[in-house]
Amino acid sequence: MNVTYNWLKEFVDFSETPDELAALLTMLGLEVDSMVRLGEGLDDVVVARVEEKRQHPNADKLSLCKVNNGKEIVDVVCGAQNFSEGATVALAQIGAVLPGDFKIKRSKIRGEESCGMLCSDKELGLAEESAGIMVLDAELAPLGTPIFTALGLKDTLFEIGLTPNRSDCLSVIGIARDLAAKLGVQLKPFGIPLSESGEPVESSIKVTIDTPELCPRYAARYISGCTIAPSPEWLVKRLTSIGIRSINNVVDVTNLIMMELGQPLHAFDCDRLSGKQIIVRTAREGELFTTLDTQQRTLLASDLVICDAERPVALAGVMGGLNSEIEETTTAILLESAFFKPAAIRKTAKRLGLHTESSHRFERGIDIDSVTRALDRAAALIVELAGGTAARGAIDLYPGNSERTPIIFRPERANGLIGITLDRSEILDILVRLQCLISENPDGSVSVIPPHYRLDIEREIDLIEEVARLNGYDKIPETMPIARVVSDRPSRHQEIERLVRELLVQNSMTEIINFSFTAPDAAGKLLLSEDDPRRVAIKLANPLVDEHSVMRTTLLPGLLETTARNMNFRSLDLKLFEMRRVYFPAAGDGMPHEPLSVVGAISGSRDGDGWSRPQEPVDFYDAKGIVESLLEALDIGGVSWNSNQVESYYHPGKSCAVFAGRECIGSVGELHPAVQKNFGIEKAVYCFELDFEKLVKLSRTKKNITAPSRFPDSSRDIAMLVPESVAASKILECVKSEKAKEIEQVQIFDVYCGKGVPEGQRSIAIRIRYRSFERTLAEEEIVALHNRVVTNLVNKLPVTVR
Amino acid sequence: MREQLEQLRNGALQAIETATTVEKLQEIRITLLGRKGELTGLMKGLGSLTAEERPAIGQLVNSVRDEIEGALGAALASAQENLMAERIRSERIDISLPGRRPVRGTKHPISLVIEEVSAIFAGLGFSVAEGPEIEHDWYNFEALNFPPEHPARDMQDTFFVENSMLLRTHTSPVQIRTMLKQKPPVRIIAPGTVYRCDSDATHSPMFHQIEGLMVDTGVTFGDLKGILTVFTNQLFGQKTGVRLRPSYFPFTEPSAEVDIACVICGGKGCRVCKNSGWLEILGAGMVDPEVYRHVQYDAEQISGFAFGMGIERIAMLKYGISDMRLLFENDVRFLRQF
Repeated sequence: MNVTYNWLKEFVDFSETPDELAALLTMLGLEVDSMVRLGEGLDDVVVARVEEKRQHPNADKLSLCKVNNGKEIVDVVCGAQNFSEGATVALAQIGAVLPGDFKIKRSKIRGEESCGMLCSDKELGLAEESAGIMVLDAELAPLGTPIFTALGLKDTLFEIGLTPNRSDCLSVIGIARDLAAKLGVQLKPFGIPLSESGEPVESSIKVTIDTPELCPRYAARYISGCTIAPSPEWLVKRLTSIGIRSINNVVDVTNLIMMELGQPLHAFDCDRLSGKQIIVRTAREGELFTTLDTQQRTLLASDLVICDAERPVALAGVMGGLNSEIEETTTAILLESAFFKPAAIRKTAKRLGLHTESSHRFERGIDIDSVTRALDRAAALIVELAGGTAARGAIDLYPGNSERTPIIFRPERANGLIGITLDRSEILDILVRLQCLISENPDGSVSVIPPHYRLDIEREIDLIEEVARLNGYDKIPETMPIARVVSDRPSRHQEIERLVRELLVQNSMTEIINFSFTAPDAAGKLLLSEDDPRRVAIKLANPLVDEHSVMRTTLLPGLLETTARNMNFRSLDLKLFEMRRVYFPAAGDGMPHEPLSVVGAISGSRDGDGWSRPQEPVDFYDAKGIVESLLEALDIGGVSWNSNQVESYYHPGKSCAVFAGRECIGSVGELHPAVQKNFGIEKAVYCFELDFEKLVKLSRTKKNITAPSRFPDSSRDIAMLVPESVAASKILECVKSEKAKEIEQVQIFDVYCGKGVPEGQRSIAIRIRYRSFERTLAEEEIVALHNRVVTNLVNKLPVTVR
Repeated sequence: MREQLEQLRNGALQAIETATTVEKLQEIRITLLGRKGELTGLMKGLGSLTAEERPAIGQLVNSVRDEIEGALGAALASAQENLMAERIRSERIDISLPGRRPVRGTKHPISLVIEEVSAIFAGLGFSVAEGPEIEHDWYNFEALNFPPEHPARDMQDTFFVENSMLLRTHTSPVQIRTMLKQKPPVRIIAPGTVYRCDSDATHSPMFHQIEGLMVDTGVTFGDLKGILTVFTNQLFGQKTGVRLRPSYFPFTEPSAEVDIACVICGGKGCRVCKNSGWLEILGAGMVDPEVYRHVQYDAEQISGFAFGMGIERIAMLKYGISDMRLLFENDVRFLRQF
């Protein structure tokens, strides 16, 4: 809602400056989004007179003018033709900055000096279009007066961001009313008397409401003998100041009154209304109608229309029809002022995408009691500006019931809920200032009838809010609540989520967050099989773009896109993870499933520096190591790595599924070269994926901690030749199967193939550390045990000890 | 024997005196006192002495050994000291070379803000609640007093999915789910992801909010102001408190927009606060009785407040980020700074 400082002053007296007023309005809940000082910076554009005008010697279309700015005569080159010598004009002097950051400088135009510019309305931001320069009334103001001062346009525009509940403030009077209530002053009386001199209105026009439930009030007046003409300057200026384009005197009056009183009005050319009659009804299904914007609309039976005897002439509360609009030749006017049901108007406007100043107000609810006041004021102004005679009386069909039930209000409850201690009289005074009718009840409560325009006040709590608002939120003391102690700690789910994030960060990983929606072909890019459940995603009914049209079922595509994008910026050493929800459709009628998932991707070199150690590329074991450390920290037991069940998006020879007992909890592997290509990634990427919900389920909360042995250890190495078909883990398992509690640790410390190792074999070296919990082991004992281990290895596995 | 001992002693002491290195001294020790050393050899000869000679010579042997050991010990200590001094004098590294360390992992700024805000509210006795992102209209709108066809629904552009479900437009449905599950007192915050179909420089179709809810007996609007003052002072580390302005949310009444003094300029006015000195960071209010009706709480018996804030907004203010899109571009050059 736009309103200006000067306009508000016409309705209420205040002494605040524009800045103070803006602060006051904001603290009333009428938030001033921006302030525009009209004419600011244009003080160098002044009233001036053209003393002499002659042809430019070098250009047919230019003239050379001698212009008097009150102090001196300056030379100005001008391209407009619509003025003659002696004309009073707007001169932008050197140094002026016109809207659009257009600086006026001394210049030479085709060899002739020009010390300023004669301005058009458009150049001063006063009109969207203008033909030629502004020619002013010679009596307007002394030469040299700043033009905005001369035109009375020096004003401040407030753009107020209204919340949807404050439909009463979609008008100048509404804002003035709230201001007056806050300041504790009365609104100034306003209005111009309407002289009715024609026939009784009933003899000229007729109105019928077929659907009173959608149109509880419809009022109309008839004015004949009007002359449609451009509006006078004051009206044009007023509308321009709040950003409304002037059309003609009659339409401008309806717009002015709408902005002033909040009542949308519509003027019909009465001679074009068949039967000089109005019928308010719903449209017929599929009925065609052309609105003022020349668009043909197909209507539904739920649309409310204003009709004449034959056809629709307006889309009620939204827009008039082309078939009855005011034209230059119009002389008889039917002026409509009505109340339409908000929901009906909203439905129609929304469906047709027709959001107008009128529909905006009807949708939010207007003051049903002011319907005729606005009608009368508009009729009076039309008679004043367009001439003609207003028929005697107004048609006012008011089948709806506007009686408001009183609200039972307890002043002490207002104090209690807000946390203030106002006197009862202070509280009631606030309600009275808001134009509520109050009557005190024997039990101490108060019956309150709010004014009609305050559609948002229906309950006691609404009145309590008004008390808080008018008294001032800034006057509410800050207190700390007195609360009961409740026992609560983060859920296991929350604790493990935090722990996993912490652990991944400790593993040098960077957390990323991608959008939850993705492209429909994301699953295809991962080469998922046709029957993979991750191909069934929840679709958005109204996506913004196709790439964000389904809810993701896996975090991998986002992770890989992020990887590719970072690589494009030459960030090649990457360790990324994302821990977010994935989304699966509900199995039956229930809620969709939104489990948390964890994915990671690593690429590039292992650690950054390189001056002391060679930079080595990361590989599968780096990714596996992260998963291992995570599972260890969560104390998830029975972990195994299964290379027989690998996901489609991994390199089949360099990946595996991760199991905990019999449960598959995730996967790790090198990205499949085809998938890598699908995502435009040029370097090898190693990924892992973990089912967070299973981590929560399997994580053991109680760890088994043992005290370390206090006796010395002894280590023995075994180097052996192992066929490639034997997994390294078999060797470790074999040693551990010895079940000797003196074996403290078994470690693979070297894996080698190549020179000196036969084809098809690997040399693997392990180190076993022996230690007892009870005593220092004797050399003989260690030797015996170690020999047993070696024999066992050789017997159970096809290995040769070197 | 006695002569031999004297000779040995003199020779040894002289050798010790001239030896300068630790190695040399160790060598002398082995030559004299080792298992096959000279003194050890002489001691073996004690057996051949007469019983009368033995005590005196034995005493002499011991004194010679003590003397040599003492001299050796002192010489060794001084040689070691010299050695250390030499090491300290000669060993030098370039300490300006970068340290060897693993790359530092980082949490996303959104996670950092959620953790920080949760920690502050945990200290005030608020626990963390969660709810689904794909929500029923009833929880997201109706139970929060947004009737169907109400203009207030225009405040939140909604993404719809099938079966009259939608992507939650705010974290407020968690209020409803919590109150349906438990009776007062309620004291929760609910961080989470929310969605609105809006995308430009200042709007992301996906963003994050933290909802707060406190319901108990006798909770006032002043208490809301107190809690938010404590919270914002702790979060931004300033003592300027909050400014509440009347506003409107369907599920609270009275409702307020909550401003803090601009963290950039301290309230003097700058580009970030559009010269107002204030920054809007929260929406809040007293829970509307209509909401209590939907969750079967008795509005005459209890009262409470709710608040909600945008996490991106807080992250941008805390870290001085000017473009929200940076938060979702996942450029590691950006993310590794946190």
